[in-house]
Amino acid sequence: MKEGSKATPLNLCPYCTAAFDTFEELKTHVVSVHKTEPLPKPAGWIALTVNGQVHELKVEPEWTLYQVIHDRLGLMGVKMFCDRGACGSCTVIMDGRPILACMSLAIECDGKHIQTAEGIAEAKHPLVESYIKHHTMQCGYCTPGFITTAKALLDRNPDPTVEEVMEALGGNLCRCGTYPQHPKAVLEAAQTLREEGSK
Amino acid sequence: MRTFAHFNARTVDEVVSILRRYGERAHVIAGGTDLLGKMKDELLPKYPEALVNIKSIPGLEYIREDHGTLQIGALTRLEDIAADPLVRGKYNALAEATRRAASPHLREMGTLGGNICQDIRCWYYRHPDNRFPCLRKGGGRCYAMNGENRYHSIFGANVEQGCYAVHPSDTAPALIALNAKVKTSRRTLAVEDLFEVRVGKTTVLDSDEIVTAFEVPTPAKATKSSFVKFALRKTIDFPIVNCAAMIASEGGRVTAARVCLNAVYVKPYRATKAEEFMAGQPINEANAEAAGDAVVSDAKPLQHNGYMVQIAKVMVKRAILACRSEAPPAQT
Repeated sequence: MKEGSKATPLNLCPYCTAAFDTFEELKTHVVSVHKTEPLPKPAGWIALTVNGQVHELKVEPEWTLYQVIHDRLGLMGVKMFCDRGACGSCTVIMDGRPILACMSLAIECDGKHIQTAEGIAEAKHPLVESYIKHHTMQCGYCTPGFITTAKALLDRNPDPTVEEVMEALGGNLCRCGTYPQHPKAVLEAAQTLREEGSK
Repeated sequence: MRTFAHFNARTVDEVVSILRRYGERAHVIAGGTDLLGKMKDELLPKYPEALVNIKSIPGLEYIREDHGTLQIGALTRLEDIAADPLVRGKYNALAEATRRAASPHLREMGTLGGNICQDIRCWYYRHPDNRFPCLRKGGGRCYAMNGENRYHSIFGANVEQGCYAVHPSDTAPALIALNAKVKTSRRTLAVEDLFEVRVGKTTVLDSDEIVTAFEVPTPAKATKSSFVKFALRKTIDFPIVNCAAMIASEGGRVTAARVCLNAVYVKPYRATKAEEFMAGQPINEANAEAAGDAVVSDAKPLQHNGYMVQIAKVMVKRAILACRSEAPPAQT
């Protein structure tokens, strides 16, 4: 997991073994000199669409999705708390499913579409406002995970019951004990969404 | 995590050939929710040299009914099974077991094949950095036998190994009660016969063999199945005891019953005494209670897990009662 401890791997041309510093340079070389397109993707290169933006990057096999999104892409809304898949702080929405970024290997996420709390806030999702209004946080560390999970729920079920909200948020832990506020905030956001939709 | 070689397999044959090359030094990864935790904690005496990702194999994620059976691909996520109208309609035990397993996020990641093949949760075994090199890791002794054993087996240890760690799966008893079969890359066997206690293993699978699908026979019309679970928390928790039952009745009397407990023994525990007791009897409070009593009559609890005997008895009772034709949905 230590970054920088390894020398940057050389990008070798598969046809003439010329070496390049970056993958982009190698790609330009192969396309211009060898006239082949597309270039076979070297091992460890993945493309992630995070909040609508495509990122192409080289990952090590042991890097988790959390490490890539938080440490490499700099999206701090994905939080690390337990690192064992037990708390929900690192929740992201991957292809419509709320999943845990700490228990996913980045190398297995090639081509996936991911949404984080940042993307939900940028899209001005009513969850953010209703979470503020209902004061659904104390220290706020778990909040992005809760909001991301709630967003995934509302995408599938625009009119959930209190029980369904509690069930869906069952995998998110909050050490400040803000649990009673979450169903209120989520249900209000759901109502706002429905009203917006019917306009 | 330390590094390892990583393969995104495209076919089952490719997985098998990679596993042959690496033998015990490679692990298969599907949902990854069990394996990555083990690797992060440096739990295993030997850190895997390679991981073979099977999520990249197309066509192993499906739920469909076919010739009087329900076919489920090994990579089908637990959440998808729990939400499937087909499963919820006729295979209630499986729908309920997948709904009650782990947490919502883990169910979105974890697969049915992975849930069946998951490793034990004994806290000596799971202690980080291989602090307790116990029997299941090829070491000399079981630390739970005379230690903290409140979540361990109440029906004795595996004879050969002396290991008291229980099998923690929620879906295993449901599949066994429903008389399901498991298909692997080289054979088909009853789910009941899949489990075996070996060093570093919970199943009979060879090191180059993977689970590919499940086949559940469609229950006859007058048959009901149920799953009940007792855990300290409603979500993100392993069972203290769980129990699944499938009971066929005719004219108010039981004609056939399959009852399976889990988390009480080193393997899923077929409650044959309850099945025998219920044969020919009507399903009612008194009979269900007596069936539960029969099951735990030969329990041999350890120093700290006597309470599990009572819970196992009640779980059997509730699972049976939930199979009444007019039964309200089971609580817990």
